[in-house]
Amino acid sequence: MTVLSFYISCIKNEFIKLKRTFAFWLTIISAILFPILFFIAYFLKHKTNTPEIGINPWEKFMTTQIENSIPFFIPMFIVLITSLIMQIEHKSLGLKHLFALPIPKWSVYFGKLTIVVFAIVATYVYYYIAILLTGALLGFIHTGLAFLNFQPEHLKFIKILFTSFIASLGIIGIQFWLSFRFENFIVPLGVGMFFAIIGIIISQAPQSIYFPYSFSVLSVSLGDKMPLTFGVSSVTLFSIICFLMTSVLGYIHIKKINIE
Amino acid sequence: MNQFIVDTKNLNFSYNRTKKDIENLELKVPKGSIYGFLGPNGSGKSTTIRLMLGLLKKRSGTVVLFGEIFNSKSRLKILDRVGALIENPSLYDHLTAVENLRIAANYRQNISFSRIDEVLEIVNLKHANNKKIKEYSLGMKQRLGLAISLLSNPELIILDEPTNGLDPKGIIEMRTLIKDLNKKYGTTIFISSHLLSEIERTCTHVGIIRDGKMLYQDTVASLKESKGTNIKFDIEVDKSIEALSVLKNLKMKNASLLDNFVQIEVKNKEEITEVIDVLRAKKINIYQVTIKNNLEELFLSLTEN
Repeated sequence: MTVLSFYISCIKNEFIKLKRTFAFWLTIISAILFPILFFIAYFLKHKTNTPEIGINPWEKFMTTQIENSIPFFIPMFIVLITSLIMQIEHKSLGLKHLFALPIPKWSVYFGKLTIVVFAIVATYVYYYIAILLTGALLGFIHTGLAFLNFQPEHLKFIKILFTSFIASLGIIGIQFWLSFRFENFIVPLGVGMFFAIIGIIISQAPQSIYFPYSFSVLSVSLGDKMPLTFGVSSVTLFSIICFLMTSVLGYIHIKKINIE
Repeated sequence: MNQFIVDTKNLNFSYNRTKKDIENLELKVPKGSIYGFLGPNGSGKSTTIRLMLGLLKKRSGTVVLFGEIFNSKSRLKILDRVGALIENPSLYDHLTAVENLRIAANYRQNISFSRIDEVLEIVNLKHANNKKIKEYSLGMKQRLGLAISLLSNPELIILDEPTNGLDPKGIIEMRTLIKDLNKKYGTTIFISSHLLSEIERTCTHVGIIRDGKMLYQDTVASLKESKGTNIKFDIEVDKSIEALSVLKNLKMKNASLLDNFVQIEVKNKEEITEVIDVLRAKKINIYQVTIKNNLEELFLSLTEN
């Protein structure tokens, strides 16, 4: 059996385990929540939101939506989804069974981490699609909103969302380790929520570029003022480093723990 | 010579520094046996099983399975030949029995879908294969756990308290299943239990553990013999004092009294009839005669100080 086949079988199983779980629905609910709120707001106040002639309505629609939801919502979402996905295993007392199977422990750890990352990427994708669909629907209902007359600047917004995702990798690594280690899901949830709130509060301070829970806010709020390290956005770089370090350390730790 | 499927030497483990939870444990499970691992609650049975499977890191000693030392190099190769059910089965409540089995089959990789049907048939769960596990009773869950451990046709099955929480019917079914597997496929089965009667009825070999130390390890037959051949039994009578004096006159000195029961020890079964005849001749009414389980006393004397 090859290394790849272990990894693939673990991922395949993680998909089966997600079936009919709240974690699965949470990715969809989280993705459509803000687009629906914006849809209602635009729908009810379509007159005040009608753009001047020649102005692309997507610009305001998407920028306000992304800037107001992503920075605060994503850290909370990551804390919740990571805990929920790991809880499927803890609830079924699955770890003792998994670690007594003829499969390498790394494939269990990284297979699950892959699914967590996948769920988060999927949420971003659903979110983007939901924004486009609600915009198009608004344009269809109220032609004056002019959504159907213009194209959104896809590249610009995909870049914003991608940067936000990379900035979230740091906390994904930390939260996954915590959720894997602690059976009681109050621990990763409590710690995660606490730090996520601290992250938002201290995001004004320049030192917050070293605190992973602030990265999500910083990636959107700093924009062009982002400090650079080796020519790359500091937040992006630190987030990737944090993710790689916590993933490797987390695995080394998990490999050694006693499964009681 | 018997080949040992499980062979541990000087196995030591502790959860904390103050107490040794497993002490110099030497476990020897012969090939093709049904090995009963017996001990009171908290004696270290589950801990030993977790050490055998590498779930806990031992302080010292070796675990040899199938003649190979268990370590990080041999881990996958050895576990491929083992099926284990550790305490409560690990099942995903929100999924069906088939989905749970498919997950286990995917992990083991080379298992066909028809094998899933087969194991469901073996544990008699075919009728509930598409039911979600949250609708399963404890006995059904336990059986599904066993089905998962059977998937790969393992040479060694480790079952940690498989009859825990089962009703009498479930216990009998589980017992029959275990014996069948051993007989039909020659599977070596390692069962832990705190119930002596369970082990006595199912197993060929027994190991008795207390406070992490092995107290006794041999065949069930020699355990029975080791207590001698005398038979102890109780007789319920209407006139117990009179009955006792009659028996004392018969030179049955080890007769004693407990409520309306006379307790006696005799050399063979024929003597039981003699005792009854003597009592009936004196017009003493007999309501019941119960042969006591020697093994139970032995177990209690071994496991209690």
